[in-house]
Parts: sequence; C-alpha cells; structure tokens
Amino acid sequence: MRRSRAEIALSLGVLGLGAGAAWVTARLPGEGGYAGIGPNFIPAVVAGGLLLTGAWLLWEALAGGWRNLAAPAAGAEHPFNAAAFGWVSAGLFAHMALIGSAGFVLAGTALFAGVARGFGSARPVRDAAIGFALSLAVFAFFVKLLNVNLPAGWLQPLLGSAGI
Amino acid sequence: MGETFNALLHGFSVALTPINLLWGFIGVTVGTAVGVLPGVGPALTVAMLLPLTVKLDPTGALIMFAGIYYGAMFGGSTTTILLNTPGESASIATALEGNKMAKRGRAGPALATAAIGSFVAGSIATVLLTLLAPLVVELALKFGPAEYFALMVFAFTTVAAVLGSSTARGLASLFLGLLFGLVGIDGQTGATRFAFGVPELLDGIDVVVLAVGLFAVGEALYMAAYTSRLPGTLEKLSGSLMMSRQDWKRSWPAWLRATFIGFPFGTIPAGGAEIPTFLSYSVEKKLTRHPEEFGHGAIEGVAGPEAANNASATGVLVPLLTLGIPTSATAAILLSAFQNYGIQPGPLLFQSQADLVWGLIASLYVGNVLLLVLNLPLVGIWVKVLQIPRPMLYGGILVFATLGAYSLHQSWVDLATLYVFGLLGFLMRRFDIPVAPAVIGLILGPLAETQFRRALSISQGDATVFLTQPISAAFLAVTALLVIVPWVVRRYGRR
Repeated sequence: MRRSRAEIALSLGVLGLGAGAAWVTARLPGEGGYAGIGPNFIPAVVAGGLLLTGAWLLWEALAGGWRNLAAPAAGAEHPFNAAAFGWVSAGLFAHMALIGSAGFVLAGTALFAGVARGFGSARPVRDAAIGFALSLAVFAFFVKLLNVNLPAGWLQPLLGSAGI
Repeated sequence: MGETFNALLHGFSVALTPINLLWGFIGVTVGTAVGVLPGVGPALTVAMLLPLTVKLDPTGALIMFAGIYYGAMFGGSTTTILLNTPGESASIATALEGNKMAKRGRAGPALATAAIGSFVAGSIATVLLTLLAPLVVELALKFGPAEYFALMVFAFTTVAAVLGSSTARGLASLFLGLLFGLVGIDGQTGATRFAFGVPELLDGIDVVVLAVGLFAVGEALYMAAYTSRLPGTLEKLSGSLMMSRQDWKRSWPAWLRATFIGFPFGTIPAGGAEIPTFLSYSVEKKLTRHPEEFGHGAIEGVAGPEAANNASATGVLVPLLTLGIPTSATAAILLSAFQNYGIQPGPLLFQSQADLVWGLIASLYVGNVLLLVLNLPLVGIWVKVLQIPRPMLYGGILVFATLGAYSLHQSWVDLATLYVFGLLGFLMRRFDIPVAPAVIGLILGPLAETQFRRALSISQGDATVFLTQPISAAFLAVTALLVIVPWVVRRYGRR
C-alpha cells in the first residue's frame, strides 16, 4: 500500500490550520445584531471546513494515498533540486531585505541574479548587469510614466540627477 | 432587443474613441507579449499587469484589461504550439495536436488555425454575450441577498467539489482561500479578524498577491527545483503561415462546434476552460474523416480546443459582469480589477454605469479584430520572445511579479506574504491540489459572507430564508444534486 509522508504532513498541515483558525475564532466577538450571527460565524464554518477536509485528506493519505493524483507534472519525476530552490528563495529574500533600504533597482538586481542562478546560469556578473538594466527600465517606466511610487534607495542621488 | 442594440451602439461609441482604442491596442499587444512567456498563463498575465492601470480612468483601464485577457489567451496558444509547455490547463488539449503539427513542420497552419479560430469563436461568443447579458441582468435584478448567497454556494461547490480530480483536495483549496478572505477588518462590525496585529493585513489579502504568489513565485520555485537542468525544445517556425484549402475545410466546422461547446461552459461555474477544451478535442476526434492523423498533428485537434478556449473565456464574462461572480481564477482577478475602482459588477452596474459596461463589451469585438490583425503578422516577434533563456525569463517574471505586491503598501511584509503563497503554490503544484478554488474563495468568500449576513438581517435571524425563497431554494437544491448524484452513481452504479 502506498503511503506518502509528504501527504500525511500536508494533511496534518490543513488540520493544523483548521485548529489555529478555530482558536482565533473562539476569541472573536459573537454579538450579532439583527442577523443573530456575529463576525465569528463564518470563521467558525471555515475552521470546521478545514478540520473536516484535513481529516478527510489524512484518512486518504493513510488508506492508500491521496486519490486520483495526476501523473507527475513536467519534471516532477526528477529529483528535487534543493540548491536551485534555495537560490530562487535567496533571491526573493534578498529582494525583501533590500527593497526598503537599497531601493527597487538594487533589490531587483539581487532578485534577478538569484533567480537566474537558481535556473542554472553560471554567469553571475552578466546576470546582475541584465537584472540591473531591467530593474532600472521598469523603475523609470513606473515612476516616470505611471507615477507609481517606488523607492530609489541608495541610488537616489544618481537617479535624481538623471531626472528619474 | 432594440434596446440592447442601442446600448451596444453606444458602447461602440465609447470603445472606438481614439484613446480607448489605444488602450485596447496596448492591452492586446502587452497581453500577448506576456502571455507568450512560457509558464505565464492568462491569470498571471492579468495579475502582473494590474499595476499598469492604477492611474487610468476605469473605462480605459477595463478596456485595456479586456485586451490583456484576450491577448494572454492568444499568446498562450502560440507557446503551447511551439514549445509544448501549456501555460495552463486549458491549453493542454491544444498541445496534444498543436505541438505535433509544429514537429512535422506545420507550425504555421497550426498557429493560423488557432488565431483565426480564436477570432471566430471569440466574436460569436461576444455576440452571444451581448444577447444573453441583458436577460441575465433582468433575472438578477430580482435577486436578494439570499439568492446571491445560494448562487455563490453553488459556485463554490462546482468549482471545488464537483469538478477536478479530487473533492477532498478541491475543498481544502477552497477553504484555504476562504480563510485568506477572512483576514482583515470585518466590513459589517469593524471587528479585526486573523490580522495578528500586522497593519498590512488589516486591508485583507489582495487577490493579486495570492494569484502572483501561487502562479509566479510558486511556478518559479517548482520549475527551478524540478526542471531547471532540462533543455527545452522550441519548434522552428518554418514555411508559410497560410492554411491550405484543405486546412480551411477541416478547421471551420471545428471552430463553430467548439464555440457552442465552450461558451455555455464558460457561463456556468465550471472552473474555467479545461473541460470544454477536452470535450471539443474528443468531439473532433470522433467526427474527423482523418482519424489516422490524430496523435500526429491533426488540424481539427488544434482548431477545436483553441476555439473552445476562447469561447469559454468570453462566456466567463457573463456571470462576471451580470452577477459579479467569477467562475475562473482569471475572472477572479478581473473582478478585483473592478473592485480597485470601487466598482462592483452586477445587474445594477448595467444601469448605473451603462457606458462602462457596454463600452467594455464593445471593446471585446474590437479586441478580437485587433488580435487577428496584429498577431499573425507579428508572430515572428513572439517567437523571439520564446527564445529568451529560462534564467533570464524567470528573473524578469519575478521582478515584475514582486512589483505588484510591493506597490500595495510599499512594505516588505507584502513580499513576505507573497513568498508564503509561493511556497503554497509550489506544494499545490507538486501534490496536484487545484489553485482556482483558493483564488475564487479569496475573492468570493467575503462577498458571500456579506450576502449571508444581510439575508439573515432581513429575516431577523431566521435561517430558513434560504429554503423558503424559491430561487434560492432552487440553487441550493441543484447544488445538493450535483454533490449527491455523482456519489450515488459511483457507489451503486458499479454493480
């Protein structure tokens, strides 16, 4: 009988979310006005739904595995490439950390370089240069043409004098 | 009928102003260019391009969005045929024959039948939309909160539980989306729910963050982790784009059949275009006089599913515009585009903002023509787009994807939320959990809750109101049947 640890873990995750939602719901106000139900009613329904589907998924996972799984989508038959996953994640985290201080363009450069590395590119300097050019173009387009407010960050003096 | 015609004429006077024509033109072009990118389906295209419209007036912005929506579908079919990486489930059927045709050096006619078929199906479906929408509006004007709530329950049930490979996984996805939809300030009492003191969460979770997280970040993580070392094979576009007389003869009946398969499926909450495209594929396979070609590049197998895909994409706009109910992930994002402008689609919109609605519908006709005129000649450019190496492609996609989330509050918290949804998208993709129910649950959940509580307020807390109102009771009865009948058939039909 097929039994997948990942399926069990995910089912427990859904159950856990349901339990967390129930815990939060129990602390929500319940007074209802004319409707007779308060802001905690639908959260309770959703928490109950998560608990039930979590239990259902767990039962499926233990009794022969999740039903009707699609054949592995393109590539899933290959082993999980943790380094690639890590590089893409690292790019996103660097972007998160940098965007407030270093600004949109430099954060975008780091993101682009990280993702490119994750997809197997072996030329970090070239990737960073392309990422910089792309982010700069996007920045100029959104700030200049669309008046969307994006942080210039450390490049403020440079971008400012360039009229962007 | 005459009234509809006048309204539509007036709509054309809105859609054909030079500035709105320009927005439509930009929309179809940008939509196609982004939709061509491998791994970027219509839902992600619309979500990523939403920030482009922040400074536009609502009519121009929505006309541009209609263009993006159609353009993204068109771009997706180009990718599917030349690269065999369907960007979304609705393109899988096209990939079956389309990529085979490209492999045999018939990429040109495959692209042509997809493009012209999309035009034919899109135009006929827009006519059907024009005729059907006023009728649905008439009916919907009679709906009260109880009817709307029952209708939304019906939509939730079909999207999550009835369609798709697994009811349990569909429901899990739906309840996740509903949970995300609860985050923020309760509109009716002002109580804060599930925000955990994070100010960025008080506004609720934006559907763009969820969609971009699931579709862009999740997809990038998935592709990097499983396929980053695999080579992709791009089919060459050699020879003429022209379809031979034989190609035409085999294509047009398929287009027409597919239109009438796709449109109805779009109008009911059936979870998008996946079912009608496969249905059209199997119909064409049954009816063809060239069964030996199926599996090796039969042109009907491209013409049908592509036309069905477009007809269903137009059909989706019927419940979206007339009832405010999205029936696919892309429609959910379009609905949030309306909401960004403080517009709630529904029957009242046809009265209060007739300019906008009919301008939008008229722009669908215009968009179809623009796509046909623009895209076949530009196919050489789209092929160039396909040649972007994947490290650059995904780097660029994520630079754009994060921009939309960041511009909401200028805060890294939204980027962290985006990453969490990315991880979720990765897991859902890996373990075959559908994402559409989550996206629809997020945007439709709060609307359903509002209608539910409003209905109970009117009835003074009497919950039987959902069963004593005939229309509401009918929706709930159909919903119950949809759940029970398949179960009974599975259980007792085997004997």
